[in-house]
Amino acid sequence: MRGQALKWTAWGLVGATVALAVVLASRFGGDPGLVDSPLLGKPAPEFEMEYLDGGGTLALGDLEGEIVILNFFASWCPECRKEHDDFVATADAFAAEGVTVVQATYQEDPEASSRYLDQEGRSDAIHYVHDAGSRTAIAYGVFGIPETFFIDESGTVVGKIIGESDALTLGAAIDAIRRGESPGQEVTGNTQQAPD
Amino acid sequence: MSERTRTWLFLTAIATLGVVLVLTVSVQPQTESRVSHIGSRIKCPVCQGESIADSPSQMAQDMMSLIEERVAQGATDAEIETEILAAYSGAVLLDPPMSGRTLALWLAPAAVAILGLAVIVRWRRQTPESGVTTDVGRPSSRRRLIGGVVLTVAMVTIVVIAATALQDREGPAAGVANPEAQDLENVSNETLEAVIAANDDHPDINGWRLALAERYYEAGDYRSAFPHYLAVADSGVASAAEAITSLVRLGWMAYDGNEESETALTLFDRALEIDPSSQVALYLKGTVLWCGDRDADAARDMFADLLDDPELPDESRVQIEEDLADLDAGEECT
Repeated sequence: MRGQALKWTAWGLVGATVALAVVLASRFGGDPGLVDSPLLGKPAPEFEMEYLDGGGTLALGDLEGEIVILNFFASWCPECRKEHDDFVATADAFAAEGVTVVQATYQEDPEASSRYLDQEGRSDAIHYVHDAGSRTAIAYGVFGIPETFFIDESGTVVGKIIGESDALTLGAAIDAIRRGESPGQEVTGNTQQAPD
Repeated sequence: MSERTRTWLFLTAIATLGVVLVLTVSVQPQTESRVSHIGSRIKCPVCQGESIADSPSQMAQDMMSLIEERVAQGATDAEIETEILAAYSGAVLLDPPMSGRTLALWLAPAAVAILGLAVIVRWRRQTPESGVTTDVGRPSSRRRLIGGVVLTVAMVTIVVIAATALQDREGPAAGVANPEAQDLENVSNETLEAVIAANDDHPDINGWRLALAERYYEAGDYRSAFPHYLAVADSGVASAAEAITSLVRLGWMAYDGNEESETALTLFDRALEIDPSSQVALYLKGTVLWCGDRDADAARDMFADLLDDPELPDESRVQIEEDLADLDAGEECT
């Protein structure tokens, strides 16, 4: 009788193990980029990137005391094209409010990025820079684009948007930072990888 | 060979196999370069289950280049891994660390194996040597119940954990939905300006324009409100209510801000063409006729007509009665 109870317990363990295996296996198909960024609440990694059209470099230290929105984009990314006008509008609307938008190219020839911006239009309030060797993208833990990071006036990463942004989402995050709050991480859609 | 001997031989074989596996995993080939070794432990963030050392993707190559540079600078393996994990978290480690929350992942298989072996050993000890099944060997209904409950609880627990882990993240951004359905209390004027600028040709943008224009109007900032009211009035897709609101606001700002009575009256008339019974258009037109010294009699008639409207709100009725009394007394508009 006791042996049969042990047998049933063993079957229970087998069933639980199989179920656990199914759960773990299902996770392999998930988007690895959806993990919470460990940078949230931490000092923003320093960066220094060349301006797309020459004219020197831009470092995070140059923007001390400002709210910084750092967005990674490329012309081959459909979601980046969709959010282009929203970034232009947001940068223009907040230009006089101590908010700076930095758009960094992601795994793309800078000339191709410049041509894309020539077609789509630029904002004088946006710093367009080239992330050579993906150094800044790696420092910020970028999995794909578009990804957008929010850095408050003290230089702390306080927010991240994974996927396409729109003006309301961007503005709401900026408004939250101006109130002293941390917008945190939001997933709005898919991200793209560089084409082979 | 006795049953006990066979059991011990079985356990010894399992333990030997385990030791061999652990040694295989933990001992690294000495010939492997440091860069490749570090790269082989880090999962390519843009791939599925592939190390950056093995992946041909641009991102993996850039990460390998970074590792190579750090190695040349004299950084230790731990320092390089720490730098990458600071940005990506442990999610990019092919082998999860044997600490913290992931420690359970390492210990769970061993724990299950030990527990399973213990169950098997005890089960074999309890089984009669003869192998003859007797009634005594059958599980009682109570024990069947306990076994079933254990199995069910295990399954339910795992399903709950899985559902929690796999639940959907937050939905897509709000976009340009109806502003009345949004909580705009904490949304700044700059954000509304950005939403409007980014969606200038969106058919639902008039609601956003009016929401922002009303904020400016209430604050007395006619200069900022003006372009939004004008855009709604000229959009051609505004609803009757949106068009009337825009026209009467534009009219009143023209009169109140620039003393342009003629322009104001023209705009009020445009609103009355859309809805001849618009109370706000009639009242403001009467006010401009009176206060702008244009036609006090016409203003008196308009106020009287409004008071005849049974749907006039009480607050408006009180105001118009006061205005009419002042008009009849020949007092100046204030």
